[in-house]
Formats: sequence, C-alpha cells, structure tokens
Amino acid sequence: MTESNLKLNFGPQHPAAHGVLRLIMEMDGEVITNLDPHIGLLHRGTEKLAEIKPYNHSIGYMDRMDYVSMMCCEHSYVLAIESLLKIEPPKRAQYIRVMFDEITRIMNHLLWLGCHGLDIGAMALFLYCFREREDLYDAYEAVSGARMHATYYRPGGVYRDLPEEMPQYKANKFISEKKVKKLNYNREGTLLDFIEDFTDRFPSLVDEYETLLTDNRIWKQRTVDIGVVTPERAMQLGFTGPMLRGSGIEWDLRRNQSYEVYDELDFLIPIGVNGDCYDRYLVRIEEMRQSNLIIQQCIKWLRDNKGPVMIEDHKYRAPERESMKHDMESLIYHFKHFTEGYSVPEGNTYKAIEHPKGEFGVFLLSDGANKPYRLKVRAPSFAHLAAIDEMSKGHMLADVVSIIGTLDIVFGEIDR
Amino acid sequence: MDSKTKLESIVTKLGAFDIEASMNQSNPEIKVKNDQLIEIAQTLREDQSYELLLDVIAVDYLTFGNADWKTNTATNTGYSRAVQPTIIPEIDATFEDRFAVFYQLLSVSTNQRLTVKVFASESNPPTVPSVIGIWSSADWFEREAFDLMGIHFEGHPDLRRILTDYGFIGHPFRKDFPTNGNLEVVYDEEKGEVVYQPVSISTRPSVPRVIRDQDD
Amino acid sequence: MGLDTDNDLIDQQGAGFIVTSVDKLVNWARTGSMWPVTFGLACCAIEMMHAGAARYDTDRFGVIFRPSPRQSDVMIVAGTLVNKMAPAIRKVYDQMAEPKWVISMGSCANGGGYYHHSYSVVRGCDQIIPVDIYVPGCPPTSEALINGIIELQQKIKNEESIANG
Repeated sequence: MTESNLKLNFGPQHPAAHGVLRLIMEMDGEVITNLDPHIGLLHRGTEKLAEIKPYNHSIGYMDRMDYVSMMCCEHSYVLAIESLLKIEPPKRAQYIRVMFDEITRIMNHLLWLGCHGLDIGAMALFLYCFREREDLYDAYEAVSGARMHATYYRPGGVYRDLPEEMPQYKANKFISEKKVKKLNYNREGTLLDFIEDFTDRFPSLVDEYETLLTDNRIWKQRTVDIGVVTPERAMQLGFTGPMLRGSGIEWDLRRNQSYEVYDELDFLIPIGVNGDCYDRYLVRIEEMRQSNLIIQQCIKWLRDNKGPVMIEDHKYRAPERESMKHDMESLIYHFKHFTEGYSVPEGNTYKAIEHPKGEFGVFLLSDGANKPYRLKVRAPSFAHLAAIDEMSKGHMLADVVSIIGTLDIVFGEIDR
Repeated sequence: MDSKTKLESIVTKLGAFDIEASMNQSNPEIKVKNDQLIEIAQTLREDQSYELLLDVIAVDYLTFGNADWKTNTATNTGYSRAVQPTIIPEIDATFEDRFAVFYQLLSVSTNQRLTVKVFASESNPPTVPSVIGIWSSADWFEREAFDLMGIHFEGHPDLRRILTDYGFIGHPFRKDFPTNGNLEVVYDEEKGEVVYQPVSISTRPSVPRVIRDQDD
Repeated sequence: MGLDTDNDLIDQQGAGFIVTSVDKLVNWARTGSMWPVTFGLACCAIEMMHAGAARYDTDRFGVIFRPSPRQSDVMIVAGTLVNKMAPAIRKVYDQMAEPKWVISMGSCANGGGYYHHSYSVVRGCDQIIPVDIYVPGCPPTSEALINGIIELQQKIKNEESIANG
C-alpha cells in the first residue's frame, strides 16, 4: 500500500482567504508539507494603464491598490512625482498628509484586527473595529467627498484645506430632534474637532479590544509560536514594517529615513521579541496607540498654523475658477493643466513610505513626457505572501489561517 | 555616513569591476555589467551589509523618448483626440540595450539605500543571472519580472507565470504588447464554459503623449 | 411549457387570485431572507463589509452572508473580475441552487470600470453570469448597496414565482 500526500485547493472563493488567494496545499494528514500560493486573480494591469494616462489621472489607481489604507498609497506616488519635479509642498500640507497617514494607519490596523479575529473565531471584534472605521470614513468623506478612495493628495500638496463644518444627522419621522442632537455631539465644530473627539475616545476603545484578546487563553494558543520568523530570515525574505519589527529589528522609515514632518513629531516604535503571530499582534495594537498620539500633535499644530495647502506654481496647480474667467494667463494654465498635464523631467526615482503594512515604494521612470514611462509599485504584501510557504511548513491547516491573518495581505496591492 | 560618501566607498571597494556610479536625485545608483552581477551582489550583501532586496524592476526601453505630438509652437493642425488608434511600436532588430533590471537594496544596519542597474543580454529571451542565492526575496520578484517582461533569470529554480492568466501568451508590459491585450473571456452558453475570443475594444488616446521642457 | 395554457384558463376563470396570493407569500419569504454568498474581490468588498457592520446593518433586512454558495440565494459580485478569475466565478454561480439572483456592485463589475482598457479585465461580470441589479459607484457607498438590495427585493416581489414554476 502506498501513502501519498493530500493535495488540497484552498480556493479563490473562501471566507478566510482575505480576498482572492488560491493556495495549493500538500498535506501529510493535518500537517502542511508544501504550500504554493497562486496569485494574479486580481491582476488588473494598473502599471500598464498608468502609462497611457497623465500623472494626476493615476492617483486614483494608487488608492485602489491597497484598498484598506488608501491615502498612504497615494502618498508615496505623490512623493515620487514631487522628487522628480523637485518641488516641495507647503508645511501645512505636510502636516495634513501626516495626519491623514496616521488616520489611515489606524484604519488599516482596525480592519486587520477585525478580520484576523473573525478568521480565528473572535467574531464580535469585527463589529467593534468597523464601528470605529465608520468614524474615520466620515473624516475621509468630509475632506474629499468619498468614503474610501479619496484621491486627496496631489503633487505639490493636497487638493483643498480642511472643512470648517462636518455633515450632520437630520431629524426625520424615525429619529427625534433630541436623539439627533445626541448623535451630532461631535459634529458641531470643524473636522479637527471631530477627529480630536475620536482621538480622545480611541485609547479606551483599544483597551476594550485588548481586554478581549491579549490575555485570552484561546487567542494565545492560536497565535503564540505560530509562524515564527528569525530576524536574519526576515531580512532575507524582504520583510518590512510590522513583520520586521515583530521579529525584533528596529527599522521604521518614519524614524530612520524621515519624510514630511515626522522628524518634528514625538512617538515611539514598538518592537517585538519572538517573531510569532502574537508579537506582531502586540506591535500593531501599540502602533494604533502611537498613531493616536501623532494625530493629536498634528491637530494642535494645524489649529495654530493656517496657511496654503498647495504650492503656488500654476504649472502643477489648477488656478482659481474666478481668476480663470477673467485672466488670460490663468485660462491658459487651466487649459494646459486639465488637457495635457505637466511634463516631468527625465530621470528615475524610487520613493518609499512607512505604509501600515510595511514599505510601500513607487519606482517612477520618466523620459520627459506628461505620462509616466514606467511605473512600478513595490507592495509590502507581495514579499510577505512569498514567505508563506516557509512560515507554514510543519504547521497545521488551522494555523495557515492565523498566518494569512498575521501577514496582513491585501490583494489589490499584491496583484496590482 | 551620508549617501555620497557611501557611494564613493562602494566604488573603491568594487574597483575590480567595471561599474558606473552616479547620485540620482540624491539616491546612489550604480550600473553594472551583466556577467559581473552575481559577484557584485555577493560583495554588496556580505561586505557592505545590504541585507534587504526590496524590489526587482524590469524596464523596456523600446519607445523611450517617443511622443505622439511633437510641437513647441502654436499650430492650426492640432491633435484630434481619440481619432487615431494607439500605434503599437514595431520591434527594431538593431535596438541595443532594450531591457534593463533595477535592483533596490536597503541596508538596515547602516541606513543606506542603493539602486543597481543592469542591462539584460542581447539574446532572445533576454537573460540576467538570478540573485536568488543571495537574497531569498528575489524569488517572487524575478518571477514577476519574467511574467510581465519576459526576462529570463538564469539559476532561478521555479520560473513560471505568477500574475497573468493560466496559459497566457505574451509578456504584457513590453511596449509592443497592446494595452487592450489580444484575448478576452466570455461565457459560451452552448459549451457551458468560459471561452477566449479576440478582444473587441480598441483604445484611442484622448491625451497625447507630449515631451516638453518644463522651464519653457 | 404546457403549464402556460393551463394558467390562461385559470386567469380567465378568476381563480388567478389564489395563485397571486401564494405568489405574494412566496415572494415575501424569498425577499425577507436573502442570503448572499461572500464574493468580495476588491475594494467594493470592504464597502460590502461596512454594509454588514454596525452602522448600515444588513441583518435587519434578513441578509446574512454565507460562505458557501450552496446555502445562498444571491451573489453580490463586489470588485474587479479578472480573466483568471472568470472560470471560478462561473463555477460558484453554477453551484448556487435556484432561485438565484446576482447583484453587480461597483463600476468594475458593471462594465470594467476604471480598468476597462486593461488586457486582463473582464468588461463587466455580465459577460460571464446573468445580472439582475447593477449598483453604480466606485465604490458604491454602503447606503447605495443597501439601496441595491432593496431594489432587488422589489424586483423579486414583482416576479410571478408560482406561474413560472
């Protein structure tokens, strides 16, 4: 009698697959011997499409790459264009970008926590995390008009300044005026007041999540010593972000290669010890708390310092609508900006930021035209998913779900 | 140590090899020869401690500097939008140095970045030695460069398609591959399965590709 | 097919009242608990998750997301459908039991969307599966998706379920 391994297809449509992931698993009973991920089930050819569109038209593509942390992806693309154009956004725009980057970091970690918990079995956490995300979606919507894909950052700054009013609930036949007043308690002021109220409430909410999970026997049994990665191996495999920090390496682009105004802000970087799923969970929870502190510092600065949010140079910035109607030069700038776009000087650059998942880099090669010649996106989840075979050898099938959860992968950026 | 000094020290350390070094937008970049890549990469990782290979980027230089509309002065002939279909460039057999591969390296211990540029060989398929023995992260990055650009990495144990469809023919990111592709899928009621048919749309450019000097 | 002539006879004799009452009951049961299969592909899946979460609760409409296609009666295609994924979506659709409906969510699933000109994107999931309701948006807000679900409920209520067999 011959024994053979079981080959199992963990198909593209699967509730724990975090999108469209197809894993071909070779198993010896319940234990995994070989794992072959098939990706490309969301390959949309973004980089090829970006070559036929002017630079500003591709900012929306960046949103849709990592669709749980939208503005961070836009940020690195916009930084790459700015480095080739040799322009710098005004200080207020930099603070707004940093504030929204940290809001995005919290959004990403909330979704990660909700889905990781849902896959492992802690289902109530999903609803708690999404309740917080709804408030952050309201912040996105107030500043750009869209809940998810904001296309808010532009080369040269951000699209427009923060609004003075928040959209409010209205009374109707189902909700009385009294109830509406209670719902609107944090929407009476500006957007900064709304975000400040969120940052005041958030630490106690993170305490709630930690109460559910951190000392929980079941959570610990499912995450401690699962998917252990040594520091040397983590660097060989191209890990970045919380995956690298969970293994004990002190590397954070916000500290080591500061961009925007991170060198003026005061925050800590959490580092793990063992390199297992539990340590990475603790690292991300602490990152949420630190992001909260950063947002509070940004709010204080933004309240005290008014100013422009986009550079004055009209080659990159559309002129005001009123001046376009009576000033010849503004009309020409408006026409050129919206029909042809700006031309980026010849050269290539690679710009990376500390995305919630790791290092999100954009390689831009230009030959002097108004469309990119080659745009390549370095997605952190791509390198992380490549390591899943090594991380899950010898573990059981249920641990594969924990490992997929801890890798924090999103197929928009893996497949692009 | 700042990037310029670091670049100079790399140039002296790799003096035995034939490399060109430059500071590109304040990022150090070195251009190396195809056959010397493995030794240089070994030196960079062990001696200069570039532990992380962040990305492998493949570029096709076939239409570098081409523009749809060449104009610097006012014109009454203009550019009629979305009238001309996209022109697929023909491959010029005498074109040299068409494919290049950029490696993005990061040194965590010394906080330095480096870009290594190498041109693929002139053969068909273009080849570059694989650095998978030096950095394990090269595995999937090189598979992706092979899939999308057709560059063959010698020494890679498992070079197969990763992003494009099963049984896809062609290398999509090459400049002579149309953006719309060649095939599309549709469900055939009679056969009861998904079948491939020739693509039915054609994209016409509405914004011409223009090369301008921004200081004008 | 012979049932059609029988139905005409019944309508003429006025006993169509019973059929329409039973129809109403069946449609009420069907629309009151539509269970979608989780088919989130890309960004629209996140908005779908938000529609199922605390603020825009789909559970109050009887909509519970089921992981298996065999236990569900509606499929919400949320996200870009890519050539590589097309056979899989057809397989999942074929595994669903009658009666089944499809909601196409977002502009990528409606007609290729932002990626229409790409070489690897199916220009609309209706190339592969028949679609009942199209929800526009990129991504459609959770409210828009709930509006789409309610429209599907209206569409089902107007169907003659018993007459069609």
